[in-house]
Amino acid sequence: MRLGEPARLQSAINVTPLVDVVLVLLIIFMVMAPKMGKGPDVNLPNTAKPPEQGDERGKILVTIDETGGLWIDDQPIAAERFGDGLRAAAGAEPNPKVVIRGDARLHFREVRQAMAAIQEAGFQGVGLVAKRAGATAKGD
Amino acid sequence: MQLNGAGFDSGLQSEINITPLVDVVLVLLIIFMVVVPLLLQGYDADIPRTAADAAPAQAEELQAVLSVVPAACRILEPPSGDGLPADCRVTLNGQEIPATDLPARVAGILGGRPADRRVLFFAVDDRVNYEGVLRLVDLAKSGVDNLQIEFLSTH
Repeated sequence: MRLGEPARLQSAINVTPLVDVVLVLLIIFMVMAPKMGKGPDVNLPNTAKPPEQGDERGKILVTIDETGGLWIDDQPIAAERFGDGLRAAAGAEPNPKVVIRGDARLHFREVRQAMAAIQEAGFQGVGLVAKRAGATAKGD
Repeated sequence: MQLNGAGFDSGLQSEINITPLVDVVLVLLIIFMVVVPLLLQGYDADIPRTAADAAPAQAEELQAVLSVVPAACRILEPPSGDGLPADCRVTLNGQEIPATDLPARVAGILGGRPADRRVLFFAVDDRVNYEGVLRLVDLAKSGVDNLQIEFLSTH
């Protein structure tokens, strides 16, 4: 625009600030996303090639932290109320899948007891969550 | 885009049009954001309800049972590195074998059976580290497809 000339109307909307803001939001979400999963952070066991278990939506996530404390989804729960908590978490869903996110430092005892309690509460089978050795995933 | 355009009405447009690029990048980012944190990896496992219920279709002599005790495989703490201790030994159907032979032995016993009969029973000592147990499960599953894992209660 030269001085003295009549200013032309610029008909295109300037999208640069919009794109900037959206990109910053995306970066924030990308950084936060791995921490947004349900349950407390645990150090998941590493194995060579864990099979895919699909998406965590629609599953009941049982977390066993390194002290052996039990969590159902986001809530810590006492061992004696664990079965009731599982049934409450299942709600009306007929046969939801239960997955155990156990800390790598646990001994097998805690996991076996949780599996037994899950079975006693009426659920058949569990998934034991692991992560591929060398990969970074939720819980790091 | 002709802010300084006087005299250049049909001029070359020197800027690269980045709009399609930005579109594609944004869509990719959104896909990754939604999918990545929700994917789980892990092993399906089961525990028989009662001793009598343990794979009723299989005669006892056909069952494959893997015993893991800390005396033979020292994995009381998380194993260092990505594998198991080199001297780790496990007992498969009463026979003590190095853990590294596990895929071949499991394939030998269960590989010839129909997929729904490939069941490996784990009898694991309570003191064994959980990560070590999952690495043994991974090793056993690498030998044969569709292997079902059942954890026997050893107490």
